[in-house]
Amino acid sequence: MFNTKQTLVAASVAILFSGSALAMSGNSDSKAGDKIDGKYAANYAEIIKKADGKYLDKAVIEAILGSDETHGRNGLVGKLDPANPYSFEVDDSIDGGNHGNAQCKIPAAFTEVHESAAKHYHDDSSFVANGFGTPIAEAALSKWNITVDGDGKGLPSADVGMTIEEGGKVYVQFCGMCHGDFGEGAKGYLALAVDQNLVTSSFTDPAPMKAVGNYWPYATTIFDYIRRTMPFWTPNASFIGDAGYLGMTGYILQSNYIKIDDEGNELDDETFFNSEMLMKMNKYMPNQGNFFCDHRPVIHNERCMTNCPDAQVGGNGKGDATDYREARKLPDGTPQYNVPQRMHEDPPGVGHSGM
Amino acid sequence: MTDNIVDKVAVQTEDSRNQGRRAFLKGSAAVAGGVMFTSAANAAGGAGFDPKKAVAPYAGKAEITDVLQDGAARKSLGFGVRKYPYGMPSPFEKEVQRRTLEWLTPDSMASITMSPIHQLNGIITPNGLHFERYHGGVPTINPDDHRLVIHGLVERPLIFTMDDLKRFPSISRIHFIECPANGALEWKGVQLNSVQWTHGMMSCVEYTGVRLSDLLKEAGIKPEGKWIIPEGADASGMSRSVPVELAMDDCFVAYAQNGEALRREQGYPIRLVVPGCEANMWVKYLRRIMVHDVPIQHREETSKYTELMPDGTAQRFSWYMEANSVITYPSPDFKMQGPGKYYIRGLAWSGRGKVANVDISIDGGKNWKEAHFTSVVLDKAWTRFEMEWEWDGSEAFLMSRVTDETGYVQPPMPQMRNLEGTNNVYHRTAMVTWRVHGWDQGKNGGMIENVQY
Ligand code: HEC
Repeated sequence: MFNTKQTLVAASVAILFSGSALAMSGNSDSKAGDKIDGKYAANYAEIIKKADGKYLDKAVIEAILGSDETHGRNGLVGKLDPANPYSFEVDDSIDGGNHGNAQCKIPAAFTEVHESAAKHYHDDSSFVANGFGTPIAEAALSKWNITVDGDGKGLPSADVGMTIEEGGKVYVQFCGMCHGDFGEGAKGYLALAVDQNLVTSSFTDPAPMKAVGNYWPYATTIFDYIRRTMPFWTPNASFIGDAGYLGMTGYILQSNYIKIDDEGNELDDETFFNSEMLMKMNKYMPNQGNFFCDHRPVIHNERCMTNCPDAQVGGNGKGDATDYREARKLPDGTPQYNVPQRMHEDPPGVGHSGM
Repeated sequence: MTDNIVDKVAVQTEDSRNQGRRAFLKGSAAVAGGVMFTSAANAAGGAGFDPKKAVAPYAGKAEITDVLQDGAARKSLGFGVRKYPYGMPSPFEKEVQRRTLEWLTPDSMASITMSPIHQLNGIITPNGLHFERYHGGVPTINPDDHRLVIHGLVERPLIFTMDDLKRFPSISRIHFIECPANGALEWKGVQLNSVQWTHGMMSCVEYTGVRLSDLLKEAGIKPEGKWIIPEGADASGMSRSVPVELAMDDCFVAYAQNGEALRREQGYPIRLVVPGCEANMWVKYLRRIMVHDVPIQHREETSKYTELMPDGTAQRFSWYMEANSVITYPSPDFKMQGPGKYYIRGLAWSGRGKVANVDISIDGGKNWKEAHFTSVVLDKAWTRFEMEWEWDGSEAFLMSRVTDETGYVQPPMPQMRNLEGTNNVYHRTAMVTWRVHGWDQGKNGGMIENVQY
């Protein structure tokens, strides 16, 4: 089964090899037959150009990646290799956590995007400013610049913070009514702590709830987000302040049982929670290694016109168009039209009055 | 992607004309011995237009003989100028509305409405019917007080007033804007019977604004700046991380929408436009663009707008909206009017460029026929397609399938479900199927129903 943790290791090994492969092939224009990392057609840009820019065409992808890489999610593993022209993966090595602040990029095979960016930016040597704006000092933005990134840049200094117990009190006062006193959710608002498996047993099972402990890859995101947007009615509240937002971040992490060290210790009520503790815990977000950069499309169909293969026709791959699923029906056997309030408000659609 | 929009429109108009012609030629070839207006017939000075033959299908239909009466509109004056200094739709169009599903969210300030796609024509969404998605309600911002700051990894942090922004060279582009959750209700099966619910979290309008690359270069963006972090001035302080290549490709800061100022619902006074990408990245009420070396991992690119796969892993930074299409007529909001000729119409679009082909199946995906385009074909914009269909009154399964200029072919739902599961929430871009009930099915005859394979 697809696993990002393993493939990331594989990918970093691949970088080492790709370095030497490139060194051997020299810097000359890539001839047909040259391979990036011994695997991918080095003249991918030419192949795409020859195919009229069709970089997602099945045949083009096969010409560049080889035929075994192209089908379905199995092919994703290969695409995590940064040398792969279709990889979104670029860099994953910043000290924000066990994988760091993952960066994804626009794949090299998306040649049009890169050409256009070169034209508007990299190759634009003649640009001179219009002079329409007014210079401003970074210091003048201290109130506006509330961004905290996945590496922790932008966090308050280490003397700002409060104990988890104090943070819990602030949370209960300003957040509990919507998110529940322990993050269990209330009145239909999102839960912040759930104990749910992200894998469901059947396609029709309800989708699992995703919250901080079981899903969020970064702890820094909690602080950035709640300081910027919460409490919902009075966001970025000065009566809470950086210390209060940090304390609540700690309380939310504690409610999600996030570890603070390799021994598996968790936050005590007395722990003083500050930016240092936050960055320490940023490395222990349980789901952090399970994200991968966009690899769509994972389906490469032919544009079939007649007698298409069963797998592409209705009826769960058996080619029987009458084997379908419907929405719930009204008591008289007609399909349920939209939502109740819409049905009372006005006829559900042209030609349907009276149904 | 091409720079010169004027050229492009010209080329594409030609394109779409050709598309139309090709499809027509194919169509007439298929109808063996069909309609006889070939050039040969004309050149021979022969038949030409034959009015008697033209009206043949009306033969035998009962004629109306009651004398038509004048309506009120004919017998009294209408209203004068400036009754509505800002014009409104006819009261008879009052059902053409954005609608929401109240059970989706606990609060209207962090919610969504869908555009009545099935009631729109052409490729432009009127401003009042543009779909809405808020994370912190709609602010009413005085443009005189609004500022845009560009700072971070730049030579010279700058602040702009609205007047400053309007001095820059302007561009106008037609683009679709789509919430990546469009179609999300359909992951687990069919839920609702209307294109408004299945595809209404999108719109397509003409934006006017300033190229983002011009603004970033104006401040002297540094080579270490690999990401831009746009931020809104609203309660949600909406933020995302946008890679610099994407920002420099075709993004712009828009102040106008369909010829007038942006509506408050869409970010008045300015919003970011990220053509082809998730609407969540098109930050509204834009007040700050920070040039940065790494992504910020905002809640909207970690907790939300990531796709959970069946094995528990999740896809992130899924910026592009995949090619997609839908038949808007006939669709579940309509009912067939009896066997006979119909023009199947719909919308196709792709976040990666232009739509290349749209094919239509009436048998659930076994056989396909190419539709022709009835609109211009623009980059990352809605494209209208149409295909003639002779309905014989029997049960039919209508599907549309788009192929875009990158060569990507829209997949059927079972294929997407088998690979990506049903827990993703976002980017459900597989085909949908409209089941047309046979005309002989009593009062349900000719009804159109959303079904899923
Ligand atoms: C009036 C109800 C309300 C209150 C009070 C409130 N929130 Fe929220 N919270 C919301 C809503 C609504 C959202 C979702 C917003 C959206 O959809 O963009 C949310 C989202 C969140 C999220 C993101 C959850 C996720 O899974 O992405 C966090 C974390 C959060 N709130 C924390 C807090 C904290 C901490 C406080 C107290 C300072 C607080 N909230 C107070 C309503 C509330």
